[in-house]
Parts: sequence; C-alpha cells; structure tokens
Amino acid sequence: MNPVNTRKEVLEAAANLRWEVGPNLHDSLMEALYTDAARISDRVLSRDDARPAFDLDRTIDRLVTSRWLGFPIMMLLMAVVLWVTITGANVPSSLLSSLFLETLHPALKQAAAAAGLAWWLDGLLIDGMFLAMAWVVSVMLPPMAIFFPLFTLLEDFGYLPRVAFNLDNWFKKAGAHGKQALTMAMGYGCNAAGVVATRVIDSPRERLIATLTNNFSLCNGRWPTQILIATIFIGSLAPPALAGLVSAGSVMAVVLLGVGCTFLVSWGLSRTLLKGEASAFSLELPPYRPPRILQTIYTSLIDRTLIVLWRAVVFSVPAGAAIWLVSNIHLGGASLAEHLIQGMNPFGLLIGLNGVILLAYIIAIPANEIVIPTVLMLTVVSAGLTGVGEGAGVMFEFDSASATLAVLEADGWTLLTGVNLMLFSLLHNPCSTTLYTIWKETGSVKWTAASALLPIAMGLVVCFCVAQAFRWLGG
Amino acid sequence: MSELTGILTLVPAALAIYFLFRPGRGWLERWRRWLRLSDRVLSEDALKHLYHCEYEQREATVQSLSGALGTPVEKVAGLVQRIEAGELATSEGASLRLTPKGREYALRIIRAHRLWERYLAEETGLKEPDWHKRAEHQEHRLSSSEADALAARMGNPPFDPHGDPIPTQQGQLPPRRGQPLTSLAVGERARIAHLEDEPEAVYAQLVAEGLHPLMVVQLTHLSAERICFWAEGEEHLLAPIVAANVSVVPLPREQPVEESLETLAILEPGEQATVVGLSPNCRGLERRRLMDLGLLPGTVVAAEMRSPVGDPTAFRIRGALIALRGEQAANIRISSRRQVA
Amino acid sequence: MQPPHPPSACEVCPAHHPANLKRLGVNMDRYDFVVALAGNPNTGKSTLFNSLTGLRQHTGNWPGKTVTRAEGGFAYQGSQYKLVDLPGTYSLLSTSTDEEIARDFILFGQPDVTVIVVDATRLERNLNLVCQVLEITGRAVVCLNLMDEAERHRLTVDERSLARELGVPVVPAAARQGRGVPLLIDMIHQVATGSFVCKPHRIQSEPPALKRAVSLLVEKLRSAFPGLPNARWVALRLLEGDVRIEEAVRTGELAGLARAPGGTGAAAPAEGAG
Repeated sequence: MNPVNTRKEVLEAAANLRWEVGPNLHDSLMEALYTDAARISDRVLSRDDARPAFDLDRTIDRLVTSRWLGFPIMMLLMAVVLWVTITGANVPSSLLSSLFLETLHPALKQAAAAAGLAWWLDGLLIDGMFLAMAWVVSVMLPPMAIFFPLFTLLEDFGYLPRVAFNLDNWFKKAGAHGKQALTMAMGYGCNAAGVVATRVIDSPRERLIATLTNNFSLCNGRWPTQILIATIFIGSLAPPALAGLVSAGSVMAVVLLGVGCTFLVSWGLSRTLLKGEASAFSLELPPYRPPRILQTIYTSLIDRTLIVLWRAVVFSVPAGAAIWLVSNIHLGGASLAEHLIQGMNPFGLLIGLNGVILLAYIIAIPANEIVIPTVLMLTVVSAGLTGVGEGAGVMFEFDSASATLAVLEADGWTLLTGVNLMLFSLLHNPCSTTLYTIWKETGSVKWTAASALLPIAMGLVVCFCVAQAFRWLGG
Repeated sequence: MSELTGILTLVPAALAIYFLFRPGRGWLERWRRWLRLSDRVLSEDALKHLYHCEYEQREATVQSLSGALGTPVEKVAGLVQRIEAGELATSEGASLRLTPKGREYALRIIRAHRLWERYLAEETGLKEPDWHKRAEHQEHRLSSSEADALAARMGNPPFDPHGDPIPTQQGQLPPRRGQPLTSLAVGERARIAHLEDEPEAVYAQLVAEGLHPLMVVQLTHLSAERICFWAEGEEHLLAPIVAANVSVVPLPREQPVEESLETLAILEPGEQATVVGLSPNCRGLERRRLMDLGLLPGTVVAAEMRSPVGDPTAFRIRGALIALRGEQAANIRISSRRQVA
Repeated sequence: MQPPHPPSACEVCPAHHPANLKRLGVNMDRYDFVVALAGNPNTGKSTLFNSLTGLRQHTGNWPGKTVTRAEGGFAYQGSQYKLVDLPGTYSLLSTSTDEEIARDFILFGQPDVTVIVVDATRLERNLNLVCQVLEITGRAVVCLNLMDEAERHRLTVDERSLARELGVPVVPAAARQGRGVPLLIDMIHQVATGSFVCKPHRIQSEPPALKRAVSLLVEKLRSAFPGLPNARWVALRLLEGDVRIEEAVRTGELAGLARAPGGTGAAAPAEGAG
C-alpha cells in the first residue's frame, strides 16, 4: 500500500478516536501515570516511621517564614549582601581604576605618541574606546564578582524560594509572581542579569512583567550617579553632621520610588497589555542543601559575571567612540556635541534637566557607568571652561565632590537639576546591554520597544511635573 | 507661558487628527468597515442559528431567528431574503432550512467560534465571561486558513471549553451527545456535557452558578417551577427553562459518589486531606501544571506552612513542598480532612 | 581516536541518528555514543553532569530557544561519550518549551542512553517522569540520586526491586559526594553497547476506554511504521493532538525511528547514517 495513504489513515483514525475518548484524556493519562508511580514507589520505598526528634529543614522553614522573624531575617540577609558587595568592591574598584586610568591610559598615550599615531586615531582609540571600556570594567566588575556569587550561594542553599514565598502575596496583588522579588534583587546588581534571571519564573505573563519592570531596580551602574548627585546637591543642604544621612536617605527614596514603580507598572501591565498572556503560578520550595562554595563561585563567575561583563564591554567600546567623535567633529566652529547640546537645551530645561544630560543619556546608552564622566566632559566642553578636565572627548571624574559641584554650578545646575537627574537616572530606558538581553530573552521587538519606551515616557513626565512644581513653589 | 498653552492644545489636536484619519487603522476607516461588516455578521449569525436548530432537531422560523438575533421580525424578513438569494437557505412554509452550501458556511463560522473560545481558554489568561463575547466578535473575522492554522497550533482540539465538539476542517461533527438536565430523574447522576452559550443572559446565569462541562451533578428535586441539584458539593437551584440549556450525559449508578464540600483552601497548617479532583474551572496551563505536580484524585496533601502575609500556603505533595495560592487551592477538592498524625 | 568496531558485533553500533542530532544542535564528531541526562528540577542533575564531565563541558542555548543547555563528554573503556543535559521537567506531556526540548531530544535525537536522574526522597513524583521517558525509549538508566538525603530522612529504597519494576538498571548515587558515579558510568556503557538489554516498564493503569483507543491506533501505526519502538506512546500523543508528532507521522519522519525487525531494544545500525 502507498505509505502516504497509510500515514494519512493513521491520522484520520486518531482524529475519529479523539471524539470518542472525550475531552479529559490528559487527566486520565496523568492519573494512570501517577497510579503506576505510586504503586511502584509503595513497593520499593520503606521509611523508618520513628519521627526524628529534630527536623532541620522544618526548623529553618519555620524560622525564615515565621510571622515575626521572616521579614527581619530577609532584610538582614539583603543588607549583609549589599554591605559586603559595596565595601568589598571598593578596594578592587579603585585598584582597577587606578590601573586603567592612571597607569595604562598614560602609558598607552605615550606609546601612541612614540609610534607617531595620528591625533584623531589616538583620541578615538585610546581616549574614546579604551577609556569607556576601562570605566565600565572598573565600575562594574568588582561589585558583580561579589554580588552574584553571594546571591548564587543563597540560591544554592535553598533560601531564595522562601523569599518568593514570603513576598508572593504582594506581588500577586500587582499581578506578578513572588519570584519577581528575586529578579528585582538581581537587578540591583545588573539589569541584564536580572532579565536573564526571569527564566526562573515559569509562567509566561509573570515572566514578561518581571522582564519589563526590571529596569526599575537601580543597577550597579546607577548607584554611583545617585550617591554622587545626592551628596553634592541634597546632602549639602543639611547641616554637615546630618549630610551623610540625608544623602543616603534621598538615595533610598529613589530606590523605594523604583520599587513603587515596579509594583505600579506590574499592576498596570497585567491588566492592560499583558491581560491575554497565559498565567499559572507554581513555586516549589526545595529542601535545604549545604552550599558548595567553590563550585558556586566558579559557575556564577562564568555564567553570570563574565557573560554580562563581556556584553557590556562589547557595547561600551562603540559608545566610547561615539562620545569622542561628537566632541571632536567640528561643524562651523563648534563641535557636534555643542550643536546637539544647544539644540536640546530648551527641552532639557523645560523638564528640569539640560542639554548636556540628555545628550549624555543618548550617547552613553550602552552603560550607565559612563553617564557621569560623560556629563562632566560635555559640561566642560559646552560651558567652555578652561583648566578643568582632560580635553574634548576625554571622560573624567573629580576626586572631590566640591570640585564636581563647582563645575556643574558653573554650567547653571541647580537643586532641581540634581533632583531631576536622580529621577531620570531611575526612570529612563535600560542600557543597550539590557535591551539586547530583553530582545534575546523575549524574542520580540515589541516587548523590547515597550521596555525602552515605558520608563523613558515615565521619566519625562515625572521630570516635567517635578520641574513645574519646583518652579511654582520657588516662585 | 502662552507658548506652553499653545503646545498643550496643539498636541492633543494633532493626536486626535492622527487617530481619526490614520491610514488603514483610523477610527473613520474602522467605522466604515464596521458598517459593511455588520450586514455580513447578521447573516452569518442567522446561518449559525439555523444550524443549531438543525443539530438539535428544532424548527427554525423567522420568529425564532428574530428572537435569537434580537432583531425585529420585519428586518429579519429582509435578511432571510438575502440569505435565500445567496442560496444558503430555503424556506418550506414557515420553516427555514439550510442548503448544503449554507450548512458548510455555518460550520465554518462555528468552527472559528469554538476554536477561538478554546484558544482564549487554554492559551490566554482571560476569564470565562470574556470568551463567548470575544469569540462572537472573532468568528466573523477569522478566515478559514487562519482558523486552520490556529487549530493546528493548538493540536486540532476536538472540543471547545464548553464541551462542544469543534467541527473539523472538512466540516464534520460527531452526533449530539447528552440530554437536557431537566430530563434526568430525581437521584440520578450525570456529567455535564455542554452549556448552551445562547441566549447570553441564560449563559451568564449558568456561569454565575459555577457550572462547567465535566462537572458531576445529582438531581435532588424537580418540579415545574424549579430544579434542584448537587454539583461539586454545592446545591444549585435553577428555573427549568434555564436548566434546559444544560446538557448532561447520565452516569452509571455503580460509580462511587464523590461528594465533597471542601477544597484545599480551607486546610490549616498541620492538617492533611485526600484530593478528590481538580475543578473543571481550572484549565489550560494551570491544570497541566497542577497535575504534573501530582495533584490527582487520591493524593494525600498536607498543609505545612503559611506565608507570613497569609498567602500562599506550602503543601507537602508527594514528597515535595509546593506553594499554592489561595485561589488555586480553592480549585482542588478534598475529602477526609484530618490532623497530620 | 576511533575505538575498534568489529563489523559483526552490532551490539556496539550506536543507535542515535547523526542527521537528527545535528538538527538538535549536537555535533557528534569524535564521539561514539550520545547520552541524554533527564530529570525533575532540583534533583542534583547539574551536579551529576559536572561530576560526569569534569571540565570537558560548555554551555550555550538550545537552537532557537532561550533555554540553557550544557554539553560535555567523557571517555570510558576506549569509547567517547557525549553527554547532553536536558532541561529539568516534571513531565513530558505538557506544552512548555522545556518539556518540548526534552521530549524532542529523547524521541528524535534517539540518544544511545537516557539517564534519568531521580530524587530518592521524592520517589513517587520522580517516577512519573521515569514512566514517561520509558514509554519513549527503553535504552535508559535510572540514577537514584540524593541517597545521602534519603538516609538523612530515614528512607530506604530497594533498588533491586525498583530495577525489576522499571526494567532498566538503577544506580543509587550521591553525586555531591561522587558516590555511585563510577557504577553509573559502567551501566551507561553496558546499555550503550547492548550488553544490558532493557525491558522497560509500560503504563498499565489507563482507563478501559483509553486502552481500547490506544490499541486500535497502535495497530494502524504498526502497519504504517513497522518496527516503531514506541508505537503506544506515539498513539497516546496523537490522541492528545500533539502537533509535532502529527507532523512526524504525516511526513514519515517517524519511519526513521523504526528499528530493524527483530531488534529487541538492543542497538541496531542506524538507518541513513552517513
């Protein structure tokens, strides 16, 4: 017989039999499977029924999910992880930055000069590309190399699912999954890693929500911006004894605003754009296991830190080139950067920012780490300050906050600019590394665009409103 | 400031113009298309009604059509003329009959409708009250090839979420199953095969009662005014005219009665119970997930701990500790609730 | 380095399909056998993967999917083994991407051996997946992992009767401590080379109506695809309307999975291997 026909016959027979077996085939099949599984397991499994006097797993579970201790333990662990990350990262960060910026950069410049490299090539390669990469690596690598292994240790031990268990009810009210707490926490390290981490959420709608809102977790590249601006613009308003507390408090306020936005946007998305996506909650609480420290460090370095770092480097190199080029290509007596800043300034001022900040956010899209150095460089270029900075297209930072303040105030920055920069740093499009990761993970241009446009629209609106309120209050 | 007001008025005006005249998707364009569509929608709905009458061996007339479509008789007469002119139906005295061509057309619309309902139920997070309305809308817009593609992607489902068979690509349907709920004898048990989703008000009442296909019901009282029955541990009371829209397949008497009022949601930490079954209310991804976790009839489940905020609760299911939300637990029926030994 | 291949000894011929494997993203150059690693999530599957492969591994994604995939290799008694880590799943019957990947690999990739990692402390739930895998392939080894935890919870598993019930080798292990790994490698080798012949367990408790439909369909399948090793499972999938399997029937792809007549689950030469 013709094989094509016999095959067709099989399919037809199947289609007819499907009417007969009815709509609950899947149920009866699963029942059959579990009946077999239970029968076999009954035959081969025996348990010592004398209950152990002490059940470690249960005791830990009682503790970490208890009504009174559950949340304090969670806060304490989070605080410890953040503290270890921040203090632990300081030393290697400054080591790396002095190696890259104070040793390697001048050495490369000298070598280039000795080799007789054209000034523009030298500028593009060393001042543009190399500096951008060096900045990203020295700011990003140490915290990530500490934060991710710590996080993975908690994951390996089995604690993280309990966090999701404790917090799920709040996330449920926003239409999200408790595990989003974990991807948010991961986002405080790096949004790209946070987006990858949404793989642990196995319900399609909730996973998209977590992906689209991860940007509201202030990432590693944005913490320094927040701390610097809070110190020089807000901390300075308070008496010196309280300055540290006030600026830390204002950074916390921005973080909390981010958490608020996460819940608000999750709530909105789950009821509008994502209403039709399928959703199913499940959360397994695996048994606790002693973490294997060495292996965890190894795999989290390979799987998370290095991959994210590599992507960031790949994206920051062209950004370095762009930054250098806009400040060194001259049209009619002024650099491209000056033209752009002039053009964007009215809009920038309308929303309580300025042209420099907008341009910096556009050309430094690959990495939030280089926003502040770019802002400083562009400020010097556009305000025509002499005697500060390293020259057109060369990013730099000051060692002291007062020097930074002096330069920024010379360019007309006010308290409003500072506050709005902090807000805009929280509410703007994710960096290109994160956008690329979102595109890879969702496979959809639509969701990638939504994740970029949503926060930026929110940022513009919030900055505009704050500026109006500020001007109204200030007279 | 005058510039600002200028901007503030210009921007909405520009947006409004854009949305009105946007090529292809502007509101004006949509309005025109809708007018053209509404004629076709009406005749397609009429064909569907004729088919349902034929399937249920009822007589279709201009009056029944007018009732089903909610349109005045005069208007329906014109509609019937158009349908007859298109050789989709013929009239024999007062009764209307589909031609083979009309039957094929009607089945195509029914296929699109049921497939879309199935799609909404299985693959989206939309809830039951939305399905029928959206499918009523979509059935007139889905082309046959789109319907086929949708069916293929979902594994050519044989039934829609109301338990109705979905016509095949060739327009085949199995013979009708089930009998009206009102035809059962008191004490007899049956499984719900189908909830008629028209007229909408009656269907809404059935949904509000929490009735679903595959539910087991047992009749307790039947009179001309009302019909009482048990379903999933709750007693329901319906007017016979409403109950007639529920089709059931009687169950053999020897099957054990699965009476249970309780769901997993009432289990307190430290208690355990035996699963009786998943409510048919729980479907699609969610149902498959719960069954994969081993929540099947006979499984013993113990509540172990509750989140400090009150929800979810962690249950010991076949050795694993699984957290379930309150509304999920409410879909899992249990019996013999007791303290963990 | 090629291991000796005596032409007459067909029990050492690999059963996998190089062409299918290539489509699934597995390059079999320099490997003799392919081993798939399946199991529920949280069963210590990746630990086992690491201890089997050591540093000879790399990670990437499954073709066209954002699901992580790890691959590695090991050598035993002169044969080169390629180990592919499948996504951890509770079942192979639902429609999640993870389950689809695992299912497609076991069915169409036809690994020479599928190792099913089982959490000894959650035996019943894990056996659900084991039963499903055994419906698809008989060439399997069950690794009863986390024996240390089972002991801590005072559970004893009679692995001999488990092996008898399932019809495939069962190796108790504690991958974290490296316990049981050498024996597991040896059993993989025995199943791969055909010196251990499996008689896999098949589902028995399905309701009579389903049983009847399945046997009708199996008959049709047998005549369309003689020698199909998992006709019953294919029939079940067709009854559930599995689009991927329907397509495999329509295009005749399924015929490629049929073994030479008379093959009792032992390895037979792969058709179309080239």
